[in-house]
Amino acid sequence: MNNYWRKGEPFIWGTAAALSLTLLLAAVLIIVVMVNGLGVFWPSKVALASLKDGQQVLGEIVRREPVYEGVGERLQFKVGNRDLYGLDFRWVDEAAIASISYPQQATVVERQEYGNFIGLLQSVQAEGLPTAATPWERLQAARRLVVEQQEGAEEQNAELAGLNIRMERVRRKLQKLAYAGKTADDEEMARLEQRRREIDGAFEQLVDRQASRIEELHRTTATFAAIDGSERVIRVADMVRCFRPNAMSPGQKAFFYLGKLWELIFGEPRESNTEGGLFPAIFGTVMLIFVMSLFTFPFGVLAAIYLREYAKEGPLVRMVRIAVNNLAGIPSIVYGIFGLAFFVYGIGGSLDRLFFPERLPIPTFGTGGILWASMTLALLTVPVVIVTTEEALGAIPSGVREGSLALGATKFQTLYRILLPMASPGIMTGLILAMARAAGEVAPLMITGVVKLAPALPIDGTFPFVHLDRKFMHLGFHIYDIGFQSPNVEAAKPMVFVTTLLLVLIVLVMSSVAIHLRNKMKKRYAYRTF
Amino acid sequence: MDHKYLKRVRRNDRFARYIITVGGLAVIFSVILILFLIARVTFPLFQQPSVRQVAQFNLANPAASRVLATGVDEYLENLFLVGGDGSFVFYDPRSGQTVERLAAAPPAEGLRVVDAEQFGAARYNLLWNDGSLTMEQVRFRARFDAEGRRSFERSLVRLGSLGPLPEGLPQRTLARGSAEGGLVRVTLQADQRLRVDQHLVSEDLFGDQTTEHYDFYLETVAPGEKITALTMDEQGTALYAGTDQGSLLRWDLSEPGEGVLKDRLPAFTDRRAITALGLVYGDISLAVGDALGGVSTWFPVASAASGGEKRLQRIHTLIGHGSAIQSLVPSRRDKSLLSIDADGIVHLDHMTSERHLLRLGQDRPLRHLAISIRGDGLFAIDGQGRALVWRVNNPHPEVSWRTLFGKVWYENYNEPVYAWQSSSASDDFEPKLSLTPLIFGTIKGTLYAMLFAVPLALFGAIYTSQFGNDRLRGIIKPAVEIMAAIPSVIIGFLAALWFAPLLDKSVPALFLTLLLIPAFLLAAVVVWQMLRKRPFFKRIEKGHEFLLLIPVLLAAVVAAWQLGPVLEAWLFGGNFNLWLFSEAGSRYDSRNNIVIAFALGFAVIPIIFTIAEDALSNVPHSLKAASLALGASRWQTVWRVILPSASPGIFAGTMIGFGRAIGETMIVLMATGNTAIMDWSIFNGMRPLSSNIAVEIPEAPVAGTLYRVLFLSAVFLFIMTFVLNTVAEVVRQRLRKKYGRF
Amino acid sequence: MIETHSVTAPNPIVQVRDLDFYYGSAQALHGLNLDFPRNMVTALIGPSGCGKSTFLRCLNRMNDLVDGARVVGSICLDGTEVNTADTDIIELRRRVGMVFQKSNPFPKSIYENAIYGLRIAGIKERAVLDETVEKSLKGAALWDEVKDRLHQSALGLSGGQMQRLCIARAISVNPEVILMDEPCSALDPKSTARIEGLIGELREEYTIIIVTHNMQQAARVSDYTAFLYEGVLVEFGLTKDLFVKPKSKQTEDYITGRFG
Repeated sequence: MNNYWRKGEPFIWGTAAALSLTLLLAAVLIIVVMVNGLGVFWPSKVALASLKDGQQVLGEIVRREPVYEGVGERLQFKVGNRDLYGLDFRWVDEAAIASISYPQQATVVERQEYGNFIGLLQSVQAEGLPTAATPWERLQAARRLVVEQQEGAEEQNAELAGLNIRMERVRRKLQKLAYAGKTADDEEMARLEQRRREIDGAFEQLVDRQASRIEELHRTTATFAAIDGSERVIRVADMVRCFRPNAMSPGQKAFFYLGKLWELIFGEPRESNTEGGLFPAIFGTVMLIFVMSLFTFPFGVLAAIYLREYAKEGPLVRMVRIAVNNLAGIPSIVYGIFGLAFFVYGIGGSLDRLFFPERLPIPTFGTGGILWASMTLALLTVPVVIVTTEEALGAIPSGVREGSLALGATKFQTLYRILLPMASPGIMTGLILAMARAAGEVAPLMITGVVKLAPALPIDGTFPFVHLDRKFMHLGFHIYDIGFQSPNVEAAKPMVFVTTLLLVLIVLVMSSVAIHLRNKMKKRYAYRTF
Repeated sequence: MDHKYLKRVRRNDRFARYIITVGGLAVIFSVILILFLIARVTFPLFQQPSVRQVAQFNLANPAASRVLATGVDEYLENLFLVGGDGSFVFYDPRSGQTVERLAAAPPAEGLRVVDAEQFGAARYNLLWNDGSLTMEQVRFRARFDAEGRRSFERSLVRLGSLGPLPEGLPQRTLARGSAEGGLVRVTLQADQRLRVDQHLVSEDLFGDQTTEHYDFYLETVAPGEKITALTMDEQGTALYAGTDQGSLLRWDLSEPGEGVLKDRLPAFTDRRAITALGLVYGDISLAVGDALGGVSTWFPVASAASGGEKRLQRIHTLIGHGSAIQSLVPSRRDKSLLSIDADGIVHLDHMTSERHLLRLGQDRPLRHLAISIRGDGLFAIDGQGRALVWRVNNPHPEVSWRTLFGKVWYENYNEPVYAWQSSSASDDFEPKLSLTPLIFGTIKGTLYAMLFAVPLALFGAIYTSQFGNDRLRGIIKPAVEIMAAIPSVIIGFLAALWFAPLLDKSVPALFLTLLLIPAFLLAAVVVWQMLRKRPFFKRIEKGHEFLLLIPVLLAAVVAAWQLGPVLEAWLFGGNFNLWLFSEAGSRYDSRNNIVIAFALGFAVIPIIFTIAEDALSNVPHSLKAASLALGASRWQTVWRVILPSASPGIFAGTMIGFGRAIGETMIVLMATGNTAIMDWSIFNGMRPLSSNIAVEIPEAPVAGTLYRVLFLSAVFLFIMTFVLNTVAEVVRQRLRKKYGRF
Repeated sequence: MIETHSVTAPNPIVQVRDLDFYYGSAQALHGLNLDFPRNMVTALIGPSGCGKSTFLRCLNRMNDLVDGARVVGSICLDGTEVNTADTDIIELRRRVGMVFQKSNPFPKSIYENAIYGLRIAGIKERAVLDETVEKSLKGAALWDEVKDRLHQSALGLSGGQMQRLCIARAISVNPEVILMDEPCSALDPKSTARIEGLIGELREEYTIIIVTHNMQQAARVSDYTAFLYEGVLVEFGLTKDLFVKPKSKQTEDYITGRFG
């Protein structure tokens, strides 16, 4: 016994406990994200609670927790109907509930605005539908009809957008001419003015047509009753989804789940980002990383090759190496503020003065945008690539270099025929680590061009197709924004968790690949130690 | 052998060498250099203001009429003098020619102006020799022609006029107008009495205006004492006076028909005369100039000595002059103050920073000073009747080392404090730019986080590298590395929206966890002793201990969470947060330091763990074998042999983790309350440098003071992390050399 | 007392005159004078640190890669001075091949390893490449072992095979001289024997200069032997003379194993 203590075995247990705690913490984080994120899209049952005082509550049971003071538990219902009740959630003491049932008829309507409506379908007002069917069937038919009509409206929308762009172009040209000192009697100006009036006319016409079409669309409505008896007429065109969770089979639920996932990845956000899809954010993140890599990869590799293969080893190179290692540890916000001063205000401001003086004081490049954000991130991640590339080059035994040089190869031939291929897994590791870091980094983006809601993607069908001056959306910022800046944090939570889950997955997969590559590379050169 | 090809190869090689050398050096040095550019942004903060004389000309005929006041527009293109005949004469500074003359109509025929008082933005009170007063404002409207040249339309607007007083021509008079059109006039009579005339305009429900008039005399100085200086705020609600015996008086005129003497105190122990008074922009601080050339600022402060009553107190003392102060001219842009003495020497000082910015007039005495509304131009007339115009480059007068790091007595504060409050709705706000609370916040958050992270990471690394099973190690190490890749925005989000609400309700449970984990651990070890003799359990001691401990730790956490409410009910009356406030006097913030410690700690654990683990497992195996061969136990070997050898690596890991924690932005931004308070309590939040930058920089005007101060705080972050990382890196390279690999 | 010898040999291909080597401020070779006879095997022997590898690496100017290295003196290859600044190092290295102590095949296929020297010279004709692979692998006595797996990774070969692949790689560009820096020190006796045999065959076509630690090996494979001690050439002569009746006391002490 004494011996056991003297040998220090309990201390080993102490260190083991530290490891267990660390792993537990990591597990808790992953589990919390998983549990909260994975279940969001699963259609949960709608419960009808009859209270002892005669009231009825219809909604999804979200949480239960002990009553703050006193005994028993209370339940949190997501009752929806924000436009009726003001709040989406309601707490009910379990003691006050007489019975809970799950009526098959309970219908959840996902709307374009005001969140979900939970209630009972009363009737459907639509033209040209069989009257004999049940309201539910009529509603399904009406929705199909509306979707068809909406497709027509889409085309009109595209037309409108096209006109808009042409208009903008004419306006720009006018602005430029005006800046150049041309007056209204100038021939070119007059021609452009004429063009502008034409487009204006076409625009108005189209808007009129669209308005009548929308009016027609809006005639198809459905009447629902909330559980307190109040009726609500909802336009079918405003419905995103309409389902009866209590009547759904597991298969239908799974299908529903997949549909929501599809919307998440390819859909546009709604309701100040708390509903709908993440497509612009995913697109922005991917493009940000891509543009960043275009800078990081060549420059990082170039600098590493210089440091390892060409620079004469000496105190200066050692200092530079320490400095570069160091730069990887400089806070990202410092890079961000630098990006703001140097790229946005410095380079961007100069570009504006040189190339777009007619638009000033409205900045084109002199404000945050995806190019500046990417370059800031590139700066932030270049040290990562330099360090890993250098390590990869340094891990190559010098005999290989000598072997190549002894055959009469030049340094550059040795480099690109032997060294770079050998170091490529290491370089890839560095690049992937850099990309993973960029995917999760938010602070520097916040001040160099990320926005809550970007009106357009940085790549689209209008000339010049790639708009590096545009602001963009980003998954990490999305989390910060809807988790902390949205007016209804409680209602936004599910979306935050889903976004978090997505971001965690992306980053974890990327870093796992990087770490795997690195470990494989370590093993590959192990044979040399004989 | 293809010689042409060889030639090409050689050319390629030379070319590549050139590209790589130039490119590589360029990348490295630009990355390093651009970080110095950040520092460059902050340089103007510490520059001395510079002044450049832009015009000098002789006034057409200075003797023709007495100059009573001067003025200048915001472009420094219109200079004007107020003459004794009530005329405003405008000059063009480039040519020195008179460009226009606007005359203020006298209230009655044949009057002349005996005194002019400037107040507010280009407003002048003209006192006519019958004792009547008119209030004039000079207005400029700039117009641009097709070539973009500027021309001006000047006009004189009369804001109000008051008739002569029964007492005749006063010694001195002040008047102020309110937004509703009311007027307040204070006159100092020859017998040292102060008469107040209030013409108050009130509007009833139907928009009909009625004017009420009150006049009354104020309680004033002791007999034999003479009022030598007088000033009033823009609203006409606070009146200040100084006497030849050095007394300061303050009246409150905010109630109609009533003036209350709030202060009558000797300002100086030597009872020197007060010769000039002025209100610093914002109308809170009173600037006092005395006969010995001293300039100080005062404002009412509530103190215990005065029984909570607000009394004037001296707050800032500025650099003194050599002779009596003649007048004080406040800047209309910030808390700067111009003072001019009897010798015609002019000082420009900033009140908050107490920085002495400029000194003019040593070579020739100056009179009649005017400052442009943007604070970038000065206009004065010298003894020979020459007009002088200066352009002042003074972008950041409010910044000094003391305002950045020291305690400063800000307006409306009861004592000097460290404070950060960069902006507010009003223009005349005194920015509080002390970096001390932010640095404090950074250090506080980081220290608590390190307290949590370092033991966990180091012990975990020791276990993994020295006692862990090799196969499991191959999993744990990458797992921890992947943990390092979790974006901080996610950690911050979970900390703020998941952990903080959870903690709100269960602080006692958390403390109980801290007690129960060691207790359960001890119990587990004791139980283990009895079991370990059996061969089945022997296997666990070969590097699987941590797996066995996971259920033990989980049990401890569950037990603590179950017992927490019981403990809370028993010790803290059922509500810890309330108890904390009432019994311990400490506020409980929902987003507090415990949350930060966990979140930030979680973020740095993998960094420390990885580096420490590398250092530990790179200690040559032979050392370990030698120790074990001498009969040392595995713990003794680790404690006495491995740890000392790996200590530089462990130190480096801790430093790098520390650096990462200092710079972490998203976690602290989301999980602290971002309140700049200085309190070591773990139940309070803080505002660290990093999140402060993220919060404020989008709102900061480019090249403004706040913008540059934020850059300065970024420079601090940079320096702190750079020093930590360099130390770590140097130590690590030594270690590498020692063991020949990394 | 160290006697310096300068020995001329018949039909020399490499002539070294007054060669000094400095590493920083330390001098590692002192005034070496010697001739390497054509199509012979010359062994450089001497205790560790005597400068034999350094000397060897002077001959194809591999020391240029070392920071702070300086070579003074004359090295003539076939009558042409090569220790000058304007010497074409690439050309030189193609004429003077080298095999290293540790085998260093590239992480490529056996085939690619064998033709690397041609690739970097810009030769792309498939027929030439195929022919060279076969010829050089046969020359290195490796062909039979690897002819079925030419396109597999060279890293899968055994240590001896790798070293022979390196020899094949060296002879693929038809050098005039092959430098061997302790080519067998990391190999087992069987592989060593094979490589020694190979050296015997290679001397028909190439001049070989081999550094070795192993006295027996020097005696077995070489025609001439030079003994270096502390950067000074102590003795140079026909191997059979040097080993049987060394002129210098130091040489005698070394080859009889009294020091080294």
